[in-house]
Amino acid sequence: MAMKQTYYTSGWHYALLVSPIIFLIGLFFYVPVGLAFFWSFFLERPFGGGSEFIGFANYARLLGDTTFWSALHLSGIFMLLAAGFGVAIALILALAADRDLRLSGAARNIILWPKAIAGASIGVVFTFIFNPHLGLLAPLSTLFPGVWNPRMDGTQAFLMLVVAQVWHGLPFNFIILLAGLQSLPDTLIKAAAVDGAGPWRRILDIQIPLITPQLFLAFVLEFVGTLVDVFGLIDTMTQGGPGGSTTFLIYKIYKDGFVAYDLSGAATQTVLLMIFVIAMVLLQFRLEKRVRYER
Amino acid sequence: MPFRASISMLALLVSPCAASAADIEFWYGNIGTAEKAIVAACGAFNAAQQAHSVTCVGQGGYEPTMQKAIAAYRSGKHPVLIQFFDAGTLDLMLSDAVVPVEQAMPEVNWKDYLAGARSFYATSKGELYSQPYNGTTLVFYGNAELLAKARIDKLPETYEELAAVARKLKDAGVECPITTDGHPWRVLEQVAARHSVPIASRHNGYDGLDAEYTFNRGLIAEHLENLLRWRQEGLVKLDQDTRTGKYTAAFNSGECALMEASSGLYVDAFKALGDKVMVAQAPMYEGHKRYNTLIGGASIWLMKGHDEDRIEAARAFLDFIRRDDQQIEFTRATGNLPVTRSALELLQSSDKTRETEFATVDAGVRSLSAESTDDSRGIRLGFYMQFREIFQEETQKAFAGDQSMSQALDLAVARGNELLRRFEKTYSNVTLP
Repeated sequence: MAMKQTYYTSGWHYALLVSPIIFLIGLFFYVPVGLAFFWSFFLERPFGGGSEFIGFANYARLLGDTTFWSALHLSGIFMLLAAGFGVAIALILALAADRDLRLSGAARNIILWPKAIAGASIGVVFTFIFNPHLGLLAPLSTLFPGVWNPRMDGTQAFLMLVVAQVWHGLPFNFIILLAGLQSLPDTLIKAAAVDGAGPWRRILDIQIPLITPQLFLAFVLEFVGTLVDVFGLIDTMTQGGPGGSTTFLIYKIYKDGFVAYDLSGAATQTVLLMIFVIAMVLLQFRLEKRVRYER
Repeated sequence: MPFRASISMLALLVSPCAASAADIEFWYGNIGTAEKAIVAACGAFNAAQQAHSVTCVGQGGYEPTMQKAIAAYRSGKHPVLIQFFDAGTLDLMLSDAVVPVEQAMPEVNWKDYLAGARSFYATSKGELYSQPYNGTTLVFYGNAELLAKARIDKLPETYEELAAVARKLKDAGVECPITTDGHPWRVLEQVAARHSVPIASRHNGYDGLDAEYTFNRGLIAEHLENLLRWRQEGLVKLDQDTRTGKYTAAFNSGECALMEASSGLYVDAFKALGDKVMVAQAPMYEGHKRYNTLIGGASIWLMKGHDEDRIEAARAFLDFIRRDDQQIEFTRATGNLPVTRSALELLQSSDKTRETEFATVDAGVRSLSAESTDDSRGIRLGFYMQFREIFQEETQKAFAGDQSMSQALDLAVARGNELLRRFEKTYSNVTLP
């Protein structure tokens, strides 16, 4: 006997209620995206006036441009590394905090708090931590001069960003996964324990399979986050350097559009980035269909 | 104080309202010391007359100023006056968004501007488009205390001497003889200008949008090879090699002994090092005659689409800050250079040049007003900001050892030329003024 709850008689009331947010999303998402699509077919002059329609020439140029591919390639590797580590470490922490130990309540709180820090602030702090002369690895630099210098070494700069991004994403992934773990029925785990399953067995066969929806959500959010939200970290930590080794697509778009006034190039790359993100998310949703949730 | 407020309200009501009075906005990009000086100049203008008033709005940097100007212009909400930095000159000239100051104010003696300050903002035919304001140029800084360790008491005049001096410093235990950030303004544009070597054909683009980069051969290429070699030898430290990660801070903190940098940095260097700071013209390669360096800093542009009253107010403001005393005050406060001959002469005829605030004027102005050629006028190349990024990206890879310097320069030229062609297409039906 399902009870239908209605507060409003007409469907229009609901439409009215959601209209402000629809309007805002339209204004700040769909309009800019539409404009990016529009500009990507033009050679757009910064101050407007006399822009020229060139069809798909911008796309043709970018797809033949090695720097675009290198930016996309870097974004892709970063996405896999940062999202992979981000979710894996959050999972380990969540499994640990889920246990009924004396301090797990405190641990949960401590791990959640960093969520309140903005990406740019994290960038500033990590820049200090990884400073070759003052930071954590500075003793290494004194022992072997030049061995640690992310300002000069592209790979080190890249890894530094991975660490910062993983740290940045950890609390949120942790919340999602811990919530998932805590919603699992206690009886299942206790029954398994009675049947003689050790802690590893219980994690592998019961807990992880049962939180696949949460894992999936964390991955999807991390994938998008590593592609787009990493901007603040790049801008505060490396500015895309050294030698372009951390110029991910999102940062290249900013540089081309806002520093170099190359509006058409930036618009075209925005469209391509969006297509890439959508493709990644769709791919994940396809993969998700294959997963058989054990519920 | 309601009584006083009402009195002033009354005063406002009864004061004769000049027909041409207008409130205008002036957007500027500088922060720090220069911002204070700009705000002071605005205040002085408002206090000096009643007809107009100017509101000066800081935008937090040259690049944000340009971004906001583009957005404001596209939506028709732009101010009358905007300060833009040197590298944005070509975009503005072609934008159809500005009125050339020489057209708007034909009565002004624009020839009074120093050649180096003028040519950067003038067309190839010599018409000035914007009013040079906060002028800087490249000068050479030394730390007397560190130099004394190697028994050196004057700054080297040639790069050959510089290398020798740097080796002596190194031998004397100075860890960082020379520092630079490898920014194209310092290692490419200014070196090319004062040796009168073009970085691109068509006189650095002044003669047309079909120019091509050419710096991957000849003097510039050799200079960058030298920088790379000197870095490998431990004579040059880049931003990334210094403790602070910033070459100016490395110089100011006494970590490094020598640097080529903007004259506008003198105020900070003096605050940090005091009398130890030495200033001279930037070094030359042996066997070359010295030509002018390029002006840095920014100029003020008059934007289109405003009524006559506001244009009049803008003219009054431009006239005001061009005054000799205003320029000298600005120089005192910021370490920038006076940009007109009359201001310079007034300054030189006074005994102010001996004061520390004016220490860069001599070297800076001599550098800026050296003989000029078609290749030392300035840079007029499209998507130039993007090119600077490319140049830094490729040369950084060379400094890090990922590719050779000649590969880096070839790539920078190829990628730069691609930008130039696209820029040419973007403005296909516009002729360069």
